[in-house]
Amino acid sequence: MSVINSLIKLDHYLERIESWILIAGVLTMAGNTIANVLGRYVFSQSIYFSEELNQFLVVIVTFMGLGYATRKGMHIRMSALFDILPPRTRKVMMIFIAFITAVMMAVLAWYAFEYVQKIAARGRVTPALQFPLYLTYIWVIVGLALASVQYLLTALKNLNLKDENVYVSHNRIDSYDDPQTESLLARQVDNGQDFDSPLNDKKGSK
Amino acid sequence: MTFLMLTVMVCLLLIGFPMKMPLLAAAVLGFMIFMPDLSLQIVIQQMIGGVKPATLIAIPMFILAADIITRGRSATRLIDLVMSFVGHIRGGLAIAVTSACALFGAVCGSTQATVVAVGGAMRGRMLETGYKDSFTIGLIVNAANLAYLIPPSIGMIIYGVISGTSIAELFIAGIGPGLVIVALFSVYCAWYAKRQGIPVHPRIAWRPRLRALRHALWPLGFPVIIIGGIYGGVFSPTEAAAVCVLYAFVLEFVFFRSIRLKDMADIALSTGALTSVVFILISAGAIFSWTLSYAQVPQTIINSLGLEQAGPLMILLAINIAFFLGCMFVDSVVVILILVPIFAPLISAAGLDPVLVGVFITLQVAIGAATPPFGCNLFTAIAVFRRPFIEVVRGVPPFLLILLFVTILLLLVPDIALLLRDAAFR
Repeated sequence: MSVINSLIKLDHYLERIESWILIAGVLTMAGNTIANVLGRYVFSQSIYFSEELNQFLVVIVTFMGLGYATRKGMHIRMSALFDILPPRTRKVMMIFIAFITAVMMAVLAWYAFEYVQKIAARGRVTPALQFPLYLTYIWVIVGLALASVQYLLTALKNLNLKDENVYVSHNRIDSYDDPQTESLLARQVDNGQDFDSPLNDKKGSK
Repeated sequence: MTFLMLTVMVCLLLIGFPMKMPLLAAAVLGFMIFMPDLSLQIVIQQMIGGVKPATLIAIPMFILAADIITRGRSATRLIDLVMSFVGHIRGGLAIAVTSACALFGAVCGSTQATVVAVGGAMRGRMLETGYKDSFTIGLIVNAANLAYLIPPSIGMIIYGVISGTSIAELFIAGIGPGLVIVALFSVYCAWYAKRQGIPVHPRIAWRPRLRALRHALWPLGFPVIIIGGIYGGVFSPTEAAAVCVLYAFVLEFVFFRSIRLKDMADIALSTGALTSVVFILISAGAIFSWTLSYAQVPQTIINSLGLEQAGPLMILLAINIAFFLGCMFVDSVVVILILVPIFAPLISAAGLDPVLVGVFITLQVAIGAATPPFGCNLFTAIAVFRRPFIEVVRGVPPFLLILLFVTILLLLVPDIALLLRDAAFR
């Protein structure tokens, strides 16, 4: 268990790094796209590398977000049949699911590595910025590998059969509450308080 | 072999694997069976290629704009606006919910956010006025689906990219059916209120109406940018999305001061994570559809269903049924990614208008989201209203019937969708 615990501690730092990459990726993407529109309409001059930069950012956000979303238990599953199984069976199933997914991610990470190596050897560069193409693809390897680790941690966390809970990720227990709805609801509570509308009166709700 | 591929996919789906796995496993399996000499590097190449189309940037931009808006009070302002105008007619409160959902859907495009924002604010008030809870929740989960049809719509963007259809045309074509649904829902609400003897609210004077309009003016800028900008040919959907982000930021940060600069990190993070969840599916969908077409799976399926000689109406009907059934069980993005490549050869062979097909698909996606057993709005409603599944589902059937009626109506009169599109683009 202690190995898992130290891995989880390490994972905490990883989460922070992934968060910053996602934040920087999204904000740059927004800035770039907005600047391009403004450039086109206000100064009638498009940014020549805008599309290329966005492609690069989309690849980063997609694959670096993979591990992050896995950790948060955000990936959509069809859990209807899963949910009616008895707890013990669910737990075993989750180990199976997480393990197989981890293997798939690892296999893909390996082929991503081969692919990026091939591109690096050919010395391909991006058309507008003349930037080495393989550097924009390295994130795919990293992202898939980190996702594999996340699923492996999930499988390991569920191995402890004494613990009744089924974990969808190493730090999230399986529940009906959808993470996205939860965060939307949290915002409602933040905002509703000082609003003076009569429509906001929640007395009648049970 | 095709059968093996599809069986593996369905099994992984049913067991409860994360949704990217059925797509990836089917693709990798098909790849190894049909192209044993090729390296799996092509899988990676296709996965990267799948997220690269420039138009897909509209998705994170619309998600980001919605993320900013839902932290503010745009929803309450829009609700106040429609309440002040329709509150006094019979069933006014229910009609206000329908219109508010349509308006908010035109602002942010997420059905979940619409259920939370409009439903959360209106359910208590509807119950107080005497509406039954089953009717109230049924109305909210179904009216929230207008967010799919009324632009911006993420489902339409994905369909547009993978089928090579103009997203601008899809957006404009979705408006007509959306308005028809608003109208039919409103008629049903009025009839229901009359039968149940639900009291009407007093008519509101023009002065407060104008005040409500002034309050809602800023959020109403979103539909002007998106619908007006695209209809008028000023913006492409991606540009409209970027302008929306800028507008949302200026609105909530500068004018309303509902977000602070440090909130932007939070917002960007949740947008990034959600984008990744959707894009990894698109990425897996790209290699899935590539393998599918390489192995000629669509033809095999179409032949085995006896659809190769079918007429356009028959094909549309088949598409509707397939998407309706699919969306009852599986997340809409996944259904679009799996079924569109399968039907694609059939659609082009029959010479069907891909925009019309896209509207039908979006309509079925919308219906499926509120249909038991697994419509995603139902689960949002369970979480938001803290009611058990069975109570959330009870009020759905009448609205489902209306939506299926709209499907038939659209089959008979495609101009409901195409008239606006033709006016704007032809």
